[in-house]
Amino acid sequence: MEKFEFTKEELAVIDEIIAKYPNPQPAVMPVLWMAQDKFGHVEPDVQKLVANTLGLPESHVHGVATFYTQYYKERKGKYVLDVCTSFSCQACGAYDTLHYIEDKLGIKAGDTTEDGMFSIQSVECLGACGYAPMMQITNDIYVNHLTKEKIDTVIEDLKKDKLPEFEPIPLVQNREIAQEK
Amino acid sequence: MAEIFIDNNRYEFEGPTKVLQFILDQGLELPFFCYHPSLSIPANCRQCYVEAGQPVMNRETGKYEVDEEGNRVIRFFPKLMTACSLDATDGMVIKTHVTSELVRRGQKDVLEFILINHPLDCPICDQAGECPLQIQTYKYGPEGSRFEHKKVHKPKRIQLGPRVVLDAERCINCTRCVRFTEEVSKSNQLTIVQRGDKNYPVTAPGTEFDDPYSINTVDICPVGALTSSDFRFKARVWEMSSTPSLDITNGKGCSVDVWTRDNLVMRITPRHNPHINDYWMPDAGREAYKIYNENRISRPDLNIDGDKVKSSWNNALLTIAENLDTVKPSEILVLGSGYGSVEDNYVLGKFFSVLGQEQAHFVPNILAGTGDNFLISDDQAPNTNGCRFLGFNELKPDSINKEITSGKYKTIIVLQEDIVGRNLITTQDLSNVFMVYLGTNNNDTSRFANVTIPVTTAIEHVGSYVNVDGRVQRSMPAKETVYTDRRINLEMSMGRLDHFGTRFDNWVSDKNKVDCIPAWEFFVRLAHEMNKEFQYNDVREIISEISLTNKHFSGVSYERMDNELGIDLVNKQKEELNLA
Ligand code: SF4
Ligand code: FES
Ligand code: FES
Repeated sequence: MEKFEFTKEELAVIDEIIAKYPNPQPAVMPVLWMAQDKFGHVEPDVQKLVANTLGLPESHVHGVATFYTQYYKERKGKYVLDVCTSFSCQACGAYDTLHYIEDKLGIKAGDTTEDGMFSIQSVECLGACGYAPMMQITNDIYVNHLTKEKIDTVIEDLKKDKLPEFEPIPLVQNREIAQEK
Repeated sequence: MAEIFIDNNRYEFEGPTKVLQFILDQGLELPFFCYHPSLSIPANCRQCYVEAGQPVMNRETGKYEVDEEGNRVIRFFPKLMTACSLDATDGMVIKTHVTSELVRRGQKDVLEFILINHPLDCPICDQAGECPLQIQTYKYGPEGSRFEHKKVHKPKRIQLGPRVVLDAERCINCTRCVRFTEEVSKSNQLTIVQRGDKNYPVTAPGTEFDDPYSINTVDICPVGALTSSDFRFKARVWEMSSTPSLDITNGKGCSVDVWTRDNLVMRITPRHNPHINDYWMPDAGREAYKIYNENRISRPDLNIDGDKVKSSWNNALLTIAENLDTVKPSEILVLGSGYGSVEDNYVLGKFFSVLGQEQAHFVPNILAGTGDNFLISDDQAPNTNGCRFLGFNELKPDSINKEITSGKYKTIIVLQEDIVGRNLITTQDLSNVFMVYLGTNNNDTSRFANVTIPVTTAIEHVGSYVNVDGRVQRSMPAKETVYTDRRINLEMSMGRLDHFGTRFDNWVSDKNKVDCIPAWEFFVRLAHEMNKEFQYNDVREIISEISLTNKHFSGVSYERMDNELGIDLVNKQKEELNLA
């Protein structure tokens, strides 16, 4: 069985994190992040490692880990497509987008493709309601104003390990087009 | 004193108090789910909404401002407040559903939200009949739901641990169970997972909810989400009658309610007693129903050439009387027990002192290291201190064997102590003495005794028990014996079935009544058989005699035990001194 451990250096970082707060509870989130960065997931054994490192009950860490879709409680594909299906996105066709991606990759939300390249998750609001429908890639870059064409390009690019560019979206009042109208 | 106005009535209060707790203390009603007086306050269910306001104080004059009509100007909080988390302040004005349309609307809407994904399976739910969600929906809820979509489905029948089953769909995520494991039992075994409409409580992966106090979460769960694996589907709440009693499975003696149906104990739940157990009890104590229901000794047994033969009461009495006539008082070993009540032990001791054997003994059953300094004690018996206070001689577990094999004794009388089962003595060592065993359940001692007398359990008689901290409580009859009748004995409670069932129904029967009598009553009968002056008509006579003659028990009465939730016998004198 795979063993999960933090190195001495990592433990020192964790101690610094803990020192910032009056008790170790708030350190759960940053330490879960560290663990996920290191192991690629926070499976139960990793959750246990985090709990033991912080001296907290396992149940507590488990509760935090399951609350956020950003923590991967199981091994995921190389690229995780977090498609927002909360209200604003939903109103702008998020389910159509989601189903399009599902059909395209031949898996359902929550699953991972056989080649281990992609996972799809249907997630709650990512705070980008103004650019709905949208998705986030592996807890990183946002892809906004999703269309079928855009999805096609993004997925083709990802297959070549090319992440989409960050696209700045100016506020509506600053957009020239918006002003012209 | 500080004052608070609730629905236009003025109340006075002292010290810090939360508005909800204060309302409940006044005997008023306000619906709530997540609040529990012995847990922290998360204010997450939002059911306890009230309108709250405070009088406006003029900072310069330090006086309350008044309007033209001379009434105080009240500044209300802009939104409804959760009464459970709101501190009462001087002059506060509270409007509940009694006077506020807004609060009524708030309560309705919160319930509508809570019920959106609730399965509404009350007809098959164990909690029905004692379910805060059911009751409050009837009283304060909306008539219907505007939610037309498919309900969210969540896991059902999850065996959280050996004794607790979860139906996640019924859960309203009040977090009472989680807080219980964090704050009371401190096992930290539960957590809420997921978020939004998908959340529910479980243990961390790969772990079990095996907390020795786990079933308390079933009691405090305000819905039927957590159920006891043992009691599940056994009885509807309204079919049972409940009787106050105490836990007999360890020395702490938690206050409990015993729930019976057709004279079988269906479940045991903790009863609030701030002096002993607050709202809680250990899971092990709930298993006591087996002691009450199963493997009971019914009718006396005689041992004839190694075979146990059922006998009549008269025959048993005669056999014992004959034996006692042939032995000298000093040849009788009288063994009381922490499993018997104060009254039974007292009468046992008194009876034999009338015969001339002044000293009774007992062997405490204390298993060092099994307790947890909370509600589980090292002491396994509910009345060890009772025996001590009665002046019984405390024998070490290893010394009883010596006593008996010394040949000093020809007859031994054992009250409710399984000396063979506890390995205090072997049957071989007992073979030269005549043993009378008075007990409730068949065990190794009863099987070997020359005469076995069935006596009542704590829930078939009135009896006092002194716990490890020296607090005396009493039990009440909850289960009928062949000789008692709940329609006549006003101390016994009557459930619906007890009231309306008849012998001709198939849910009422005589088969669960045990043929046994209280041990004290047996000694009274034995005295008659032996033509001795020895009479008690009723257990109250015994306790009042004890309270008059034994300094430990001075001033003790059933009324006081009932009203004061038990009496502290150890610190009693100190308390009285403080008062003076
Ligand atoms: S299982 Fe019961 S006690 Fe626990 S959170 Fe759900 S409703 Fe509350
Ligand atoms: S609803 Fe999709 S980002 Fe807010
Ligand atoms: S009881 Fe006040 S919010 Fe739940």
